[in-house]
Amino acid sequence: MIKIKNVSMKFNLGIEKNNSLKETVINFFSPKKRKSKKKEEFWALKDIDFNIAKGEVVGLIGSNGAGKSTLLKVVSGVMKPTKGSVEVNGVISPMIELGAGFDQDLTARENIYLNGAVLGYSKKFLESKFDEIVEFSELKDFLDVPIKNFSSGMTAKLAFAISTIVDPEILIVDEILSVGDIKFQEKSKNKMLEMIKGGTTVLYVSHSLQSIKDLCTKVVWLDHGKIVKIGDTKEICEEYYEAQMGKQMKK
Amino acid sequence: MYIKNIINNFKRYSYLMSQMISRDFKVKYKRSVLGVLWSLLQPLLMMSVMALVFSQMFRFNMEGVNYLVYLMSGLIMFNYFSEASNNAMGSIVSNFQLMTKVYIPKYIFPLSKCLFFGINFLLSLIPLLLIVIITGAPITWTYILLPYSFICLLFFTIGIGLILSAISVFLRDMFYIYSILLTIWQYFTPIFYDIRMLPSILQTLFKFNPLYQYITFARTILLDGKVPDLLSFVFCGVSAIIFFIIGCIVFKKNQDKFIYYV
Repeated sequence: MIKIKNVSMKFNLGIEKNNSLKETVINFFSPKKRKSKKKEEFWALKDIDFNIAKGEVVGLIGSNGAGKSTLLKVVSGVMKPTKGSVEVNGVISPMIELGAGFDQDLTARENIYLNGAVLGYSKKFLESKFDEIVEFSELKDFLDVPIKNFSSGMTAKLAFAISTIVDPEILIVDEILSVGDIKFQEKSKNKMLEMIKGGTTVLYVSHSLQSIKDLCTKVVWLDHGKIVKIGDTKEICEEYYEAQMGKQMKK
Repeated sequence: MYIKNIINNFKRYSYLMSQMISRDFKVKYKRSVLGVLWSLLQPLLMMSVMALVFSQMFRFNMEGVNYLVYLMSGLIMFNYFSEASNNAMGSIVSNFQLMTKVYIPKYIFPLSKCLFFGINFLLSLIPLLLIVIITGAPITWTYILLPYSFICLLFFTIGIGLILSAISVFLRDMFYIYSILLTIWQYFTPIFYDIRMLPSILQTLFKFNPLYQYITFARTILLDGKVPDLLSFVFCGVSAIIFFIIGCIVFKKNQDKFIYYV
């Protein structure tokens, strides 16, 4: 279903500084600065290579900055890898960040269609699922209010409802379970579990080892952009936990 | 196969495109009392101001030419180009948040801007037609050729928009540079004057301005009721296609790098 072949991803941390003509000219005349730019290369991913078969639920673990989110972005097509290739057979439903493409000036109703289109839903699909989205988001009375007047919780609920309405072929999930009030959190969690357990192929990032243990059939442990270990869920989770906590003990 | 892929991709995202265009419409006219009516009123008022300034204050006179139609046709076509290309230029930079979250073909942003202003342009044809009728200019069968110049204008604008949007990601100065370029371009395009008033060397030079060609093409039909000569047909079509293709190539070559710069 997903083939990740020798994927490496390079970021140039110095890029931000060199955006205007003036600075380009200045840098051109000061060779010192140009040299230092080279050092600011950063490999977020290095030679990542593994496959995901149909129906597998693969968990990604690793500390902050290990490259988990970058990997998700590469798989979902947002970024092209610097080296290597990603092959995907099937339609991806990315749930990396919610509410992509919300327009603050539009009403909730208008945003459902806009955001749905951004996520690649068809018009027919959206129209048939519209009521379901509204019901799940619990925002029936606020449909014609511009979302700039919404609280952040309400916006998040709406976003969650829109992005989980699909029956995905491939689901890519970055930790987004905790949304809204307690009641909605429970509801959204169940919805996620339902989607993940529905037999789809899932790539799942979480810091909660418990939920990884519950859901995943396979785990990939990333550290500094490299795969540390790959394989059985329980074994790796325990090893990872020990390694992480061990580090902390030493400190 | 390659072309089939492009068409499939286009079909898949056509709904998104229509949503983005309707979003632009809603946002543009939100909270204005007259709403879409402004699309009709604005070119009409602009034309009135310019007509007043040039024909009354400067005693600017073009013998035997329906000056209002002349002015209006040039104005709406150039305005389309300047608004669409300007907005297309900023479209990548202003949508970067979206681009880092989900995969969307990036050409959608500049293209939807060009199409959105295209619809606005079509609306502004209504006041043009109104002026034609009021001033009693003849409406002939040659009007069926008008869309040719509009389509050329559209493709030319998309090409320029693609180039600008790609450049502006790497060089933010482009926003300032282009606003000056546009002003220069506006004066170098005969909108309110006639090219025949200029020295002959400049005249030849000006004829290489594609916008001049599109506007003149439309004016030949609107003012003279004549079919433009073959050379105009060729020049309009070829310039539009060339710039469109250059735009596509420049954009395609650079689009994977956008994400590191925005």
